Amino acid sequence: MENFKNLPIIKKLGFNRIILVCVLILMYFLFSLGSGRMLGSGDIKNALNMVDYLGFLALGVTFVIATGGIDFSIGPVMVCAGLIAGRLLVTFGWPLWLVLIMCVVVGALFGVVNGILVAYMGLPSFISSMASMMLAKGVGSVFTHVQNSNWPASGAENSWYKYLVTYNGFPTGLVFLLVVAVICAILLNKTKVGRYILCIGSNREAVRLSGVDTRKWEALAYVICGTLAGIAAITYVGVITQVQPGLGDEFNNNAIASCVMGGTSMAGGVASIGGTIIGVLIISLLRVGIQAMGFRPDYQYIITGIIVALAVFADIRSSRRKK
Amino acid sequence: MGEVILTMKGIDKSFPGVHALDHVDLEVRKGEVHALMGENGAGKSTLMKVLTGIYTKDSGTITYEGREVEFHNPKEAQEAGIVIVHQELNMMNHLTVAQNIFIGREFMKGGLIDDQKMNEESRKLFSQLGIDIDPSEKMGNLTVGKQQMCEIAKAISHEAKVIIFDEPSAALTEAEIEELFKIIRDLRAKQLGIVYISHRMDEIKVITDRVTVMRDGGYVGTLITEECTKDDIINMMVGRVIYEDPKTHSAVPENAPVVLKVEHLNAGKMVRDVSFELRKGEILGFSGLMGAGRTETARALFGADPKESGDIYINGKKVEIHSPQDAVKNGIGYLSEDRKRYGIVVGKTVAENSTMASLTDFVKGLFIDKKKENDATKKYIDRLKTKTPSVDQLVVNLSGGNQQKVVVAKWLVKNCDILIFDEPTRGIDVGAKSEIYHLMNELAAEGKSIIMISSEMTEILRMSDRIVVMCEGRKTAEIDIAEATQEKIMHAATLR
Repeated sequence: MENFKNLPIIKKLGFNRIILVCVLILMYFLFSLGSGRMLGSGDIKNALNMVDYLGFLALGVTFVIATGGIDFSIGPVMVCAGLIAGRLLVTFGWPLWLVLIMCVVVGALFGVVNGILVAYMGLPSFISSMASMMLAKGVGSVFTHVQNSNWPASGAENSWYKYLVTYNGFPTGLVFLLVVAVICAILLNKTKVGRYILCIGSNREAVRLSGVDTRKWEALAYVICGTLAGIAAITYVGVITQVQPGLGDEFNNNAIASCVMGGTSMAGGVASIGGTIIGVLIISLLRVGIQAMGFRPDYQYIITGIIVALAVFADIRSSRRKK
Repeated sequence: MGEVILTMKGIDKSFPGVHALDHVDLEVRKGEVHALMGENGAGKSTLMKVLTGIYTKDSGTITYEGREVEFHNPKEAQEAGIVIVHQELNMMNHLTVAQNIFIGREFMKGGLIDDQKMNEESRKLFSQLGIDIDPSEKMGNLTVGKQQMCEIAKAISHEAKVIIFDEPSAALTEAEIEELFKIIRDLRAKQLGIVYISHRMDEIKVITDRVTVMRDGGYVGTLITEECTKDDIINMMVGRVIYEDPKTHSAVPENAPVVLKVEHLNAGKMVRDVSFELRKGEILGFSGLMGAGRTETARALFGADPKESGDIYINGKKVEIHSPQDAVKNGIGYLSEDRKRYGIVVGKTVAENSTMASLTDFVKGLFIDKKKENDATKKYIDRLKTKTPSVDQLVVNLSGGNQQKVVVAKWLVKNCDILIFDEPTRGIDVGAKSEIYHLMNELAAEGKSIIMISSEMTEILRMSDRIVVMCEGRKTAEIDIAEATQEKIMHAATLR
């Protein structure tokens, strides 16, 4: 086993990530077995819908968790961006391309707020992101007068935004996500931004005493996170069309769970973009699989909870052994 | 010395890639203080971790009170009477002394915690040890020395028969060390077996009965302390004599310009009106007792902590330093006394740590130029003789001395002209220590200017060209090395 772990190819890909992929494949067959049929393209499509927006959220929060922080506002921020942009499109008649950009802008602005609260004002990220979660829910509701934001349905005028999720059955959303994931991986591992974010997560004070403006880089992690929540909003509306105010909390948990499952450490300093994507796939498949097996959706929470706890436990065990 | 209470024989332990312990022997008798010595990385801690069940041994035997034993965790060892007093104290500052001592086995009365009983019991323990601590005081209000006494009291309350002291004196003042030694002698008189791990050669001669020396995970030998000299022990540890004579006169040329001038620096209680000059190529020693305000002065100068007032001139030009960023921009580098907390990012690689202060110079377009980074890192690995398998090694896997070299590399890569070395050899083994000394002399000869804060008198006398002495936040003396004596420095350090 030790020898196997030390093979160059295994080291390059990461042993834990390989295990995760195996888990993913195993899950597919287990669910197929449990539901008495092979999960088909319908189920996969169903899962991919969730993968799209959950993926962007999880990518974003990976950066924040890498600094040792947490962001509970991403889900509501995504919903808020969808609400605001939707109303701008439908009620105020803004052009579609502009409102899609607005989605990203709204997300980024919340990121800036979080960044200022945490990095410059020194609030614990747990608390500040709770506050901005409320803020996001409130702003979304106020802006839409607590009405649903109804984006144009497929086939209607101005519905090309849906092509960003699927185009004639082709999963453009997945491609979109993977492209962004690659950019994120480069950002995290090959640039100064990523280097400082990871080092801050590992030992903030040592980085500060090296003459680095830690506040700036930490804040940037939240801005990246918010921006990605804004991008998530685009695929979110592409999937669900009708955005309801006051929602979004459950996406936080799923996104954070995906990160942690993928090997990003809650203590900061260690993060894996590839792991996060696999984590997202697992969580999404879990949801679809549980439904296919005939459980009511509410059981899904219980099962997801157990699996997340187990995954994190396994992660902690393996890193303890390394020490 | 009484009969043998603990024997470890042929203890062998390997980790992936490292043979950490190679058939090590250790014998502890009742009523003996047994020094365990060796450079950092020699395997002392690993051996103690095997003893107390944190690691499992690969082979060898542990005989304790005549029976072969194997502990699976520290709790089992503790129950059998083997207790470690750690270098880093494991105390909860918000609880009282008594609550800390009886944590996990509180006295109960009617389902509630009986604080009164715990206080009483603690008081009994303290009087046994002949120390004066109020059990109802919050742990956080005690000095480090007193906290350590509490650790010892806690160990005794477990009815310990063997107590392991892991560098107990590292954070203590002279007076506290005296008190510690008194307690250790008491424990010895009560026929406990004591293992004493320390780097301080002088202490070994004062307090221990026998010395076991380890080197590179192996057992070198056991000596009776009375029958050997310091140099004997050091020779066993490193295989060479390294104690050098103190500097007799300043190596700085007469006409060397002043590179740094600090005037009337004030920052909190610990830095009151401190002024000094640093010249090109000079090593300026900062001496004083614990809490004299030397580190605080350095941190205020470096912008790590806010200062109230004071002017700083670099090469004759007044500069504003409000953050470490400003300091680094002005060519100042700071090696903290607490390497793990403030110096290195342990979970990152040697290369990542080396370029931490100067990463901007290694960015090409949008990306970090990994090759350039590795080349620069390699250059300083060679120059500083850092022992690391590669530039991608995680710093956490290096020994203390080599970690320190990585911090030095960080500032050299940044090309800082003014370097503040705060306790540069703390927790570093003798061999690495002399290498750091060499390096500092080399840097000074190249024209770098160094402020060296040190609590070791020998280090101050050996390295400094000039010595600033501080006491309770004030500068109390400035002495040229030619006129410096231990007595003069000590006198200035205790001026109140």
